[in-house]
Amino acid sequence: MARGNKEIIAKLEQIVGPEYVSNEEANLIPYSWDLTWAEPRMPDYVVMPKTVTEIQRILRLANHQKIPVIPYVNATNIGGLCVPEEGGIIMDLKRMDQIIKIDPETCYAIIEPGVSHAQLSAALKATNPQWEGFEFSKGFEFGWGVHPASASVLAMAINHGIGHLNGRIGINSQLLSSMEVVLPTAEVVKLGSCAYSDSWHSFLPLPRMDGLFTGWMGTTGIVTKLGIWIFPIRPYRDVLTIAAASAKDITKYMVHWRHYSLCDEVTAVSWWLAQIPITFPYKEKPKDAPEFFSYTVISGWSEEELEYKRKMWKKVVQEEKARGTQLIDFEYPEEAKRGRTELPSRIVGSTKNYSKSCGGGLAWPGTFAPCKSWPILYEKWKEIYIRHGLSPATRFTDYQGAHYGMLRCMTPFDKRNPESVKAARNAMVECVRAGIPLGMLPYKPPVEYMNELNAAADAGYVYLMTKIKDMLDPNNIMNPGKLGIR
Amino acid sequence: MALELKNTSLKELAKIYDYISMCTHCGNCKYGYEWGKTANFAAMLCVQGDKYHFDSYRGSRGKAAIAKGLLSNKLQWSDAVAHVLFTCTGCGACQQMCETDIKPYILRMFEALRSEAWKQNVAIPEGIKKWSSTIGVNRNPYLEKHENRLDWLPSSIRSSLPKKAEYIYFAGCTASYRQKSVALATVKLLQKLKVDFTVSQDEWCCASPLLRTGQYDLAKEFVEHNKALPDKYGASGFITTCAGCYRTLSRDYTMDPPEGYIDKFGKMENVKVVHTIQLIEEMINKGEIEFTGSFNSTVTYHDPCHLGRHAEVYDAPRNVLKAIPGANLVEMYRNRKFSFCCGAGGGVRGGFADYSLETSAKRVREAESTGASVITSTCPFCWRNLTDAIEMTKSPLKMVDIVEILEPIVKRK
Repeated sequence: MARGNKEIIAKLEQIVGPEYVSNEEANLIPYSWDLTWAEPRMPDYVVMPKTVTEIQRILRLANHQKIPVIPYVNATNIGGLCVPEEGGIIMDLKRMDQIIKIDPETCYAIIEPGVSHAQLSAALKATNPQWEGFEFSKGFEFGWGVHPASASVLAMAINHGIGHLNGRIGINSQLLSSMEVVLPTAEVVKLGSCAYSDSWHSFLPLPRMDGLFTGWMGTTGIVTKLGIWIFPIRPYRDVLTIAAASAKDITKYMVHWRHYSLCDEVTAVSWWLAQIPITFPYKEKPKDAPEFFSYTVISGWSEEELEYKRKMWKKVVQEEKARGTQLIDFEYPEEAKRGRTELPSRIVGSTKNYSKSCGGGLAWPGTFAPCKSWPILYEKWKEIYIRHGLSPATRFTDYQGAHYGMLRCMTPFDKRNPESVKAARNAMVECVRAGIPLGMLPYKPPVEYMNELNAAADAGYVYLMTKIKDMLDPNNIMNPGKLGIR
Repeated sequence: MALELKNTSLKELAKIYDYISMCTHCGNCKYGYEWGKTANFAAMLCVQGDKYHFDSYRGSRGKAAIAKGLLSNKLQWSDAVAHVLFTCTGCGACQQMCETDIKPYILRMFEALRSEAWKQNVAIPEGIKKWSSTIGVNRNPYLEKHENRLDWLPSSIRSSLPKKAEYIYFAGCTASYRQKSVALATVKLLQKLKVDFTVSQDEWCCASPLLRTGQYDLAKEFVEHNKALPDKYGASGFITTCAGCYRTLSRDYTMDPPEGYIDKFGKMENVKVVHTIQLIEEMINKGEIEFTGSFNSTVTYHDPCHLGRHAEVYDAPRNVLKAIPGANLVEMYRNRKFSFCCGAGGGVRGGFADYSLETSAKRVREAESTGASVITSTCPFCWRNLTDAIEMTKSPLKMVDIVEILEPIVKRK
């Protein structure tokens, strides 16, 4: 069965060639849903451009015909971001998969949207940091998250995805250095140092116009090239682990430890998230089991550096125990530790840990929140989740900067069962509603979360967001419906 | 949003829906990747996705979406659905990458989807329909007469073969009708090595093409016929030189679903199935083989999907190649579980000849990049497709099956 109309198909075929356009439902259906409970919406066309010029021509056509355009690479965002709310054209950018440059002296890379984590990590590992031919060490890395290795690095970075270096250098959208964007109205713009020369090293000291395209979920333009900072791989790493009796205890330990800025990452997971797979439906935690488990990754250029960090970590643990924080000595299994130091990983990045035997649904309230709110929100979320028959499989991760970080709850559910889907959605929306007054902000938010955000937002903020959106996208063709403002 | 099971008339699919539903849509299946202390690999492995690009074609996620769509009535059958289903070679790369609970059922799902497609009014590839319409009479998918099946076997050898033996050499259709040199080399090799074997006078297609294309009803009598052969010849096992036959006889005839089809055809009991390469490796290890010559070439080995990913036989061919005097084995980047299909399997060579050859040409170029002068394998079907690509691209590579390398230069100690 075909959708859309023949005239549009013919025009799209003229632009990219017939083999890269389809309006057949067989080809559209994989683009109609994602892992989450987002309501499936069929696109009318899928098109796979290879060049910026082709993207420009598609956007001109879309503006002329007032057809929505949804930028897409792999749709592993767990937020329904690529589900076409109003149908239209899925612009699948997988063919734009070139690593244009890795600069081992200035330490940045330029990538196209289709570059996967697998591709980039392999290329970075094969490139050595150097200056005028003298190599300092072996290999580069970026902030690798725990997603499938087929996921787009660019899409993850511009949508505030997180990586394994977030405790040391911040989340991945803080590591952007320049970008090229095709605006909804088809003009091509360069932002950052690349607007002035061939060097893609920095947005600063210019006005941060890249903010018009980060965190906007593809509603303000299509980022076609991205400069990212890359970091030398430190040859020495270790994973230190501990458990705690409560969310409050683990938070106290985490902020204390991160205070010294000595770790690449510090993360805690609730008992339910530590189960493989996450228990679904909800199962009570054994009474004697810790409520939270935490790992922290430390790295260094020598064993001595690592040893110093271990000593400091032990000091933090001792001090916390001394002041009554209920920490429990706990060693992660070796395989679990390896999973934290060998990212990106097909195994860790798969949905294996989350979705086993439960009907294929996976979603989260994925949020950034001040650490102060974590324990309070965890207790609220736990009550909400248990009430809906779901396991509160919660994660805290402290980011570089102020003491704030990720608060999220990985939630398997049964997509075969409408009641299960409903329960998952209702629980998560309720969690978001409960969290916003306490400083919590969802990232990569589904429409339902955006509605909650907009309802609570400062009026001026929504006014400005709307004004920017209208200015950049006068026909509202870019991923419409996602911001909840039009 | 729920994907409820609504279309229970799709029986083959409906009964494995619990497993199909385990696909989370994560996309791990779409790209080959592994990183760790002992591995560092990143490359596209899905031949279908490499050619047709859209997510429907890429890895198992797209096909699982189609299956879910059909079962939940969100998608109707169409020629486009059939195109997605029948352009997959069933190479198993997506299954290799998958980490969710659908993993063991992925290939079975592909075949179940195809089996349902035959019942619909959709465009099954003409090439597949053509051989399917005659296989019931010809007992092979090459439109050749059954009575000519043993033409590859010289009468001098035929008359020397025993009536009863420990093994039946199961040549398979491709070696019997197309790559006769592989069948002949195998028989000569087995005789030189004094293996107790015979050749069946009445071998039928192993049913691999039927099972891979979802033609279960047709497959039944083939499986039943071949299962009876060991008793007829007093044999306790089959030897194959074809990876496809090996996979079918050793898995489909003997294993529970999702690995095999004993749920449909019953179990072949107490029959050992070995690929020639496993037998040779075992004999080398036991010191039973003496090399009387050498093979002075740089060789790269192509893992047939049916012997590699489907049966996890990776080391035997490499160990044998390493034992051959003069042979210098070099690996392609995509090898073993991360191998790239030759493009022939799953009915694709018969159904989409140009795409199949295009895929094979990609593999030939990869083999060339190793600096090898010879590409070798353990499957006459791969042999045929790779040879066609070598000829098409005017590649300097020479395609030789491992048994063809071994036969002139070995004897039994």
